[in-house]
Amino acid sequence: MNSTIANALLVARREISVRARTRGFLVGLALSALLVAALPVIPKLFGGPDSYAVGLVGARSAALEPAARALAPGEQITLTFTRLPDERAAHAAITAGDLDAAVVDDGRLLADGDPPQELGALLQGAHRAVQTEQRLRAAGLDPARVTEAMRVPPLTEVSVSTAGGDSGVRAGVAMLLVLTLFFLLISAVTQVAMGVVEEKGSRIVELLLTSIRPGELLGGKILGLGALGLLNLVVVIAAGLGSALATGLAGDLPDGMTGIVLGALAWFLLGYAFFSALAAALGSLVSRQEEVSSVLTPMTTLLTAAYLVAFYAVTEPAGTLARVLSLVPPFSSMVMPVRTAAADVPVWEVGVAALLMLLAVAVVLTAGARIYRSAVLRTGARLRLRDVLPAAR
Amino acid sequence: MLEAEDLHKRYGDTIALRGVALRVRPGEMFGFVGANGAGKTTTMRIVMGVLGPDSGEVRWRGEPVTAAARRGFGYMPEERGLYQKMRVAEQIAYFGRLHGMTAAEAKSATGALMERLGLTERAGDPVEALSLGNQQRVQLAVALVHDPTLLVLDEPFSGLDPIAVDALAEVLAERCRAGVPVIFSSHQLDLVERLCDSVGIIAAGRMVAAGPVEEVRAAEGRRSLRVVVRDPAPGWADGLPGEVTADGDGRQVLRTTEGDDQAILAAASRAGRVEHFGWEQPTLTEIFREAVA
Ligand SMILES: Nc1ncnc2c1ncn2[C@@H]1O[C@H](COP(=O)(O)OP(=O)(O)O)[C@@H](O)[C@H]1O
Ligand SMILES: [Mg+2]
Repeated sequence: MNSTIANALLVARREISVRARTRGFLVGLALSALLVAALPVIPKLFGGPDSYAVGLVGARSAALEPAARALAPGEQITLTFTRLPDERAAHAAITAGDLDAAVVDDGRLLADGDPPQELGALLQGAHRAVQTEQRLRAAGLDPARVTEAMRVPPLTEVSVSTAGGDSGVRAGVAMLLVLTLFFLLISAVTQVAMGVVEEKGSRIVELLLTSIRPGELLGGKILGLGALGLLNLVVVIAAGLGSALATGLAGDLPDGMTGIVLGALAWFLLGYAFFSALAAALGSLVSRQEEVSSVLTPMTTLLTAAYLVAFYAVTEPAGTLARVLSLVPPFSSMVMPVRTAAADVPVWEVGVAALLMLLAVAVVLTAGARIYRSAVLRTGARLRLRDVLPAAR
Repeated sequence: MLEAEDLHKRYGDTIALRGVALRVRPGEMFGFVGANGAGKTTTMRIVMGVLGPDSGEVRWRGEPVTAAARRGFGYMPEERGLYQKMRVAEQIAYFGRLHGMTAAEAKSATGALMERLGLTERAGDPVEALSLGNQQRVQLAVALVHDPTLLVLDEPFSGLDPIAVDALAEVLAERCRAGVPVIFSSHQLDLVERLCDSVGIIAAGRMVAAGPVEEVRAAEGRRSLRVVVRDPAPGWADGLPGEVTADGDGRQVLRTTEGDDQAILAAASRAGRVEHFGWEQPTLTEIFREAVA
C-alpha cells in the first residue's frame, strides 16, 4: 500500500516536472491568468475612471468641496480639488486634460464637452445641497436646525431578487467560473489521454509495467496532471481576485466569495477525477496521437453538454433544468459551482450533488482503470470497448 | 535461478506457447533461439509479468515470482520504448527510482552507467535528439540502472553493428560474471553459440532443445557422420544411408546420422582415398534447421 502511493507519487512527479517545463503549459498558464486579470479592468475602460480632478474658481464654489466630498464615497468615486484664480486658468487646465471639470462662482460647470455622467450628477447634488442650506439660512431659519434638517439618510437599497442583492456581479463571477472550469478541465483531461497514448504508442508502457502496476501508473499520471490543472485554476482565480482588488472592483464581489472559490476548487477536482478516468480509459484504446481526439469524442461531448447547461445556469440559476442537473453527475461538477456562484443554493442540495458525484467518480475510476489495464498493452489497431471489457473481468 | 515450467498461452485462435520450460542459473548466459513467431517474446513477457500465462508457472529462486522480486529484474522489450522528450540522465534515473532506488542511489548509478556506456556528454539531451545507436544504449542503461538480479533482453543485438555487438556482449558478460542470470533472444545463432553457456531452441511454441550448449550439440541422435572421399568411383554410395554432396576438387562428402560406421568406412575406402572420417556434433544452426523443418 505504502509503495503504491510512493510509486504513484513518483509517476506524478515525473508528469509535473516534464509538463511544467513545456512551453505549452507556461504559455497557457500566463495567458489564462492575464485574460482573467484583464476582465475586471474592462468595465473600467468603458465606464471611465472613478477618480476625478475638479477645479474650483471663487469662494462660493469652494463651499461645494465639503458637500461633494461627503457624497463621493457613496458613488465609489474619489475626488481631488484644485483652487484656481480665474476662469481662464480653469479653461486652460480642462483643455490640457489636467481637470475633468471646474465649477465657477456664477453657477456654471465647465467641462470638455459634457462632464462625465457620475461626476456631473455628484457635483449637481452637492451644489443643490449647499444652495438649499444657504437659502434656508437666508430665509431666517436657525442655522443649527437647518444643518440638522439637511442631514437626510440615503435610501437603503434592498433587492427582492432571489439571486440576492448583487446578482449582476454574481452572474459575472459565475460566467467566469464556467469558462475557466470548462477550459481547464478539457485541457487537463486531454493531457491525461495524450499521456496514456504516448506511453502506449511508444511501447514504454511495457517497460513501466514490469516495475509498477497499471493502477499506480494511471493514478500517478492523473494525480500529476491534476495538480498542474489545480495550480492553473488557483493562478487564474488569484489573478482575477488580485485584479479585482487592484481596480477597486473587489467591493462589488458577492459576499461568501471565499466559499464560492473553495467550492469551485473542490468541484474542479471531482470533475477532473471523473473526466480524466474516462479520458484515460478511452485513450488506452488507441495507439496513435492522431486518434486521440476521435476516441475522446464521447467524453468531450459529455463535457460540452455540461458546459452548455452550466452556461444556461448562469442566467437561470433557479430554473428546473439547472436545479436538476446540478445534482446529476457529471453535470453537477460544472453546474453546481455555477449555481452557487450565481445564486444561493440550499446546503442539502450541494451535499446530495457532492455525494452522487463522489459515487460516480468511484465507479468511473474503477471501470476506467480496468479498461486501461487490459487495453494499454494491446498496441496496434484501435480497440473497441467490447474487445476490452470481457478481458477486464 | 529462473525457472519456467509448462507455459501455455493462446491469443484467440493462435496458440503461441504449448508447454515452454526453461531454466537459467546464476551467472549463466542463456540464448533463446527461434524463428519469428516461435514464441520467444511471449515467453519473455510472461517472465517479466507483463503477460499472464494461461497455465504454467515462472519461479525465481524457487518461489513463484512476486511483484517485489520482479522489481529487481532488468528488461529490454522487443519493442523499444523511451520517453522521447525526456532527458537522458533524468530518464535513466527515473527508471532507477521505479525499480525502488532512492534518489541518491539512482543518481549515482545513472552517472556511472552513462560513463560506462559513453553517454555522459548527452546527459542533458532529450532522447529524441540522440542517434539510434545512442538510443539503444539508453535503452540498455534503463535495463541495467538498478543493478538487476536477472536480465531479460528481447533481441538486444538486432540492428547493432559488429562493434556495438561486441560492446553489448561485454556488458552482458560482465553482469554474468557478477552472478546475474542473463537471458536474451536472438535469431543470430552464431552469436548465441559464441556468447552463451546455455541455449533454448523454440519452434512453434515448443522447446525443441534446451540446456548447456555442449550438451545440446552432443545430444543423442544429433551427431552425424561425415566422410570425405577423394575421386570416388561413381555410384560408390549407392546403398549407403545419408546424403552425398560434391565439394569441388573431386571430393565428395557423405553425411548421415545413422547406419554402421564401419561398413560405411569400408565402402568409402574401396571407392577412393578417405580424407576425413568422423562423428561430429551438429552446429546450433543445423539443430535449428532440423527443428524448424
Ligand atoms: N498480442 C498478440 N495477439 C495475437 N497474437 C499474438 C500476439 N502476440 C504474439 N502473437 C502470436 O503469437 C505467436 C508467438 O509470437 P512471439 O512470442 O512474438 O514470437 P517471437 O518473439 O518468437 O517472434 C505468433 O504466432 C504471434 O503472431
Ligand atoms: Mg519476438
